[in-house]
Amino acid sequence: MRLIIEHLKHEYDVQVLNNLNFSLDKYKSIAIIGVSGSGKSTLIRLLSGMEKPTSGNITINGVEVIGNEDYKKKVGFVFQNHNLFPHLTLKKNITLVLEKTRGKTKEEAESIAMSRLEQMHLADQVNKIPKNVSGGQAQRASIARALSVDPEIIFLDEPTASLDPILTNEVLTAVEELRDSGKEFIFVTHVMSFVKDFADYVIYMHEGQIHEHGLPEMLDKPKTEEFKKFMSQVR
Amino acid sequence: MNKQEKVINYSLALLTFFALILFVVLRQTQNFTLEPFENILPKILPSLGRTLFVSILSLFGSMIIGFIFYLMSKSKVKYFRALVDVFTEIIYGTPLLVMIIVMAFVIGPAFMSGSNSQAGLHRLGIIGIIIYMSPYMHNVFKAAFSSISEEQYMAMDLFGFTSYQKYRYIIVPQVIRILMPPLMNNFSLIIKGSALLHVLSYPEIYQLIYSETLRNFFFIEGFILLWAMYLIITIPLSALAKFAGMMLEI
Repeated sequence: MRLIIEHLKHEYDVQVLNNLNFSLDKYKSIAIIGVSGSGKSTLIRLLSGMEKPTSGNITINGVEVIGNEDYKKKVGFVFQNHNLFPHLTLKKNITLVLEKTRGKTKEEAESIAMSRLEQMHLADQVNKIPKNVSGGQAQRASIARALSVDPEIIFLDEPTASLDPILTNEVLTAVEELRDSGKEFIFVTHVMSFVKDFADYVIYMHEGQIHEHGLPEMLDKPKTEEFKKFMSQVR
Repeated sequence: MNKQEKVINYSLALLTFFALILFVVLRQTQNFTLEPFENILPKILPSLGRTLFVSILSLFGSMIIGFIFYLMSKSKVKYFRALVDVFTEIIYGTPLLVMIIVMAFVIGPAFMSGSNSQAGLHRLGIIGIIIYMSPYMHNVFKAAFSSISEEQYMAMDLFGFTSYQKYRYIIVPQVIRILMPPLMNNFSLIIKGSALLHVLSYPEIYQLIYSETLRNFFFIEGFILLWAMYLIITIPLSALAKFAGMMLEI
């Protein structure tokens, strides 16, 4: 993945990201870590094109991200809470997207939905609505939905934030199974073992800035006091 | 509460009320008769029909205006939002009876000349109910639409749903489930509120029975009859609201 961030600023009521400049090349799975409120979720939303920054530019793999509707169609996003449409079954959550926004026929959509749900070990849950499955199953269905549009990049924003340790493991195992899928990943998480296993590059954010970044080995050798403190808290 | 428990508890509650009614009836010292109202029997159904007609009209009218208020309250134009807030405060502090009278005799004539005919007054009275209920409907819409999380809108945008598709397949099917029960409750309020149209001599059920009591002086019987008439309409509606809520529950 070739990522270039230039003069990126974003504010809601307060400044969340302040003049971010960053670039990297060749890595396929990038983890963004940091304490709550450090700007990780904002950054991942901006990188996915879901939100527009106050100012600045983002380019991923040579494509302008901001305001680019075509780019949005090439990404998948997994939210903190599964964010499936609650009135639709797991299967319909996928087929609706494929039929209405990707021009697939009903049969094609069904076939893709089934194969993605099977990939996430949910073949026996396809006709249930989200509230009738476990949090882990719903989150895996959300990953299946993100995969169903055949994205080039998959964004995961703390996909296990609302899950207990067993369900967290269930979801992260499902994500790890995608390692050889040919997709690229940018994800936010607090599960450091997953970062070590799955990421090939790590970005540590602190107070709206990229404070440290490097290979996953950096987790064992934090340079700054802030990162040391963070690592001591998440271990 | 499982189904059997529910049946038992509701049966007990009904029995309690029947016992209370029986107690009250047995304690009465004067005779109770509906005979003086026999002469208006043929008019009861048409009057009930008119009550329902104005209520349905007011329901849809206030839904439309309430939805417009909802859109205004979500507008980027702060003036629209302020306008809705101020209007809501005014209505919340206004009794429905005052609204009907003021609409029929003050506000309405200012906008429509020749509105002082009987039919014109009735129309303005109904408009009064519509205007009065609109902020309440606005609240119903606000609550229903707020049930769709910001992240769902983000997901819809990211997948590339068009506005029509968002509303048709995702927003409306969810909102309607939440909308139904409070909408039915507001409908019940409108039905009861429509009784106030009698001040404009609109021939709905309250006006029919109340005018008869003025002739026969059987006030208590008249009001009990009225009570029964409104319960005949509102209890099935309330049951329908509960049923709709249950069927549409996510």
